[in-house]
Amino acid sequence: MSILVIADVKNRTVNPATCELIAAAKKIAEFKNLPIYLLIPFKNIGGDSYRSSELETYIVDLTVEQYNPCILVTHISGVINEIQATYILGLHTPFTMDYLPSLSVTKNAQCITQIQYIDIDEYITVIRGSHAGKIDQHCILNTTPAILSILPGSFEPYTINNVKNREIKTIPIPEEEKSVNCRFITKDMQDTSLDEAEVIIGAGKGIGSKENISLLYELAKVFPHSAVAGSRIVCDYGWLPYSKQIGITGKSISSKVYIACAISGSSQHVAGIKGAKTIIAINKDPYAPIFNVSHYGVVADIFEFIPQFINFVNEND
Amino acid sequence: MQHKLKVLVCIKQVPDSNAVVRIKDGIPEYDDNTVYVINRYDEYALEEALQLKDRNVTSHIHTISVGPERVQKALRRSLEMGADEAFHVHIDEVAANNPLIVAQTITQFAHNSYDIIFTGVMSEDAMNQYTGQLIAAMLQYNYATGVTELLLNNDTITITRELDARESMQYELRIPCVISIQSSINKPRYPALSNVLRARKQEINIIKPDMTIPIIQTHCYFTMPQRITQCHFIEGSMSQKVSKLYTILHKNAIL
Ligand SMILES: Cc1cc2nc3c(=O)[nH]c(=O)nc-3n(C[C@H](O)[C@H](O)[C@H](O)COP(=O)(O)OP(=O)(O)OC[C@H]3O[C@@H](n4cnc5c(N)ncnc54)[C@H](O)[C@@H]3O)c2cc1C
Ligand SMILES: Nc1ncnc2c1ncn2[C@@H]1O[C@H](COP(=O)(O)O)[C@@H](O)[C@H]1O
Repeated sequence: MSILVIADVKNRTVNPATCELIAAAKKIAEFKNLPIYLLIPFKNIGGDSYRSSELETYIVDLTVEQYNPCILVTHISGVINEIQATYILGLHTPFTMDYLPSLSVTKNAQCITQIQYIDIDEYITVIRGSHAGKIDQHCILNTTPAILSILPGSFEPYTINNVKNREIKTIPIPEEEKSVNCRFITKDMQDTSLDEAEVIIGAGKGIGSKENISLLYELAKVFPHSAVAGSRIVCDYGWLPYSKQIGITGKSISSKVYIACAISGSSQHVAGIKGAKTIIAINKDPYAPIFNVSHYGVVADIFEFIPQFINFVNEND
Repeated sequence: MQHKLKVLVCIKQVPDSNAVVRIKDGIPEYDDNTVYVINRYDEYALEEALQLKDRNVTSHIHTISVGPERVQKALRRSLEMGADEAFHVHIDEVAANNPLIVAQTITQFAHNSYDIIFTGVMSEDAMNQYTGQLIAAMLQYNYATGVTELLLNNDTITITRELDARESMQYELRIPCVISIQSSINKPRYPALSNVLRARKQEINIIKPDMTIPIIQTHCYFTMPQRITQCHFIEGSMSQKVSKLYTILHKNAIL
């Protein structure tokens, strides 16, 4: 029995956050006394640098341009059989989530996604947000195999030790399977206003309409070097342009202050705000998950609180 | 396209984002006054299907929802938006949140009857992000997830799937296939009056699932969230909250 860690891919190279995955795997490995194997799902994505890693490593003989989830599933299943993997871990990103869950069908395994914590007690318990992140779901890994996706940013990255004379094993793919021709499209990100701002005001769906965003521009005005950004929903609705979206599929910020206004705090949004030094949340729901990651919380209706706050600042400055 | 496409759209009904959930006897429970809506990503999926219908390349659009009685309201709404027929697989609340059961029942229903099965990329309540992948694996169909653009060719579909803020990938998908839709792909329509009137008279087909297939059950329990950073809640009357926040920002040289 063993643990298989599947490297994630970002910008067509191995995602460095793969080391967070290895950290998660280590936790299980120490408890269960199992070896960890690393699988790099493509060639030419920098996987060769794992040649002397302490982990036995496999590389699939496919280029990223030959990507097809079904091919990967078939051949990763083969590796799982070979090493008798009982825990299969991937990063919870759109890239890996495309094919990782399908392994649960071929392997008749339980699949638990978006894991934020691993608790080791008598059993291994993985913890994830559920019910729109409003409550925690604790899943006991009572059967194997288990397919697990780990939310980026949840574990301190593990530093891989080097050893000598380790060979990477290549997983051959028959030529006829390599037919898919996948193209990558890269957007240029010209809007740098969020990189430069010291205070960022985040607009959530609770703002209600495009017109109401003006309230947040008013709030932004009381701070020097500020900018207004938003959640994905706000951009989907056209209330702000996509260049102002914060989160896993938007910008990551590292401002001094982030003020989340009527934002629930979904894990996809939170992934983009962890770099902010101080996080303040204003939300009318005292149980909104945004408070779990905030330094200061104000339980209030933004339409009452923000106008009064702006007045107060103007009177006292 | 050689022939007209038969399309199925998977619709989950979920509590709206204002819903209050508590844990009672270890089981999550929503307030009685909770408002249920179509999962947002499924609205985008349905709209994508309806745009194919508008272009006259489909023979029919069916919708399916797996869950308790209440989900019929979401299916009714799908008919109002323009779906041709709706199917309700009647199962309890707990089973409706188990992706293996949901995928299994949708697979049984769909077997070889559809060219494209649309799902949302994620259900807003359970947030599993994999029911579509399971359906595809069970049917052994091609699939794509997180799709933000879709272009119909002769016998393939060119899909664009979003990876992160900067990068997307694009490739050709053969029919039959399962496609999971990400937001930003379109703007879902409001129901036209003629469709609303038609939908009012229409029956929703009720299906009994085959629940004899063994399913791996994960043992779960629920708790209120653990606060990661101790959040300092600013308490008091509204004006006290205002002045307290001001003081904090002032002390930290932000204001
Ligand atoms: C693959 C994937 C990638 C994604 N990427 C991103 C991403 O990069 N960024 C992102 O933001 N999202 C992303 N999402 C979407 C994400 O899951 C959530 O849907 C989104 O973040 C929710 O936005 P929100 O908080 O504005 O809205 P909601 O979740 O609807 O929350 C609204 C909040 O406003 C509060 N509220 C309402 N009215 C008021 C009021 N008057 N005063 C005070 N509070 C009020 C409510 O209590 C609630 O907490 C992604 C989803 C998927 C599946
Ligand atoms: N109970 C259900 N009934 C119908 N479709 C569902 C159900 N649960 C999930 N789905 C579909 O699967 C998608 C992904 O859900 P999930 O895997 O739970 O995040 C949703 O957007 C729906 O399209």
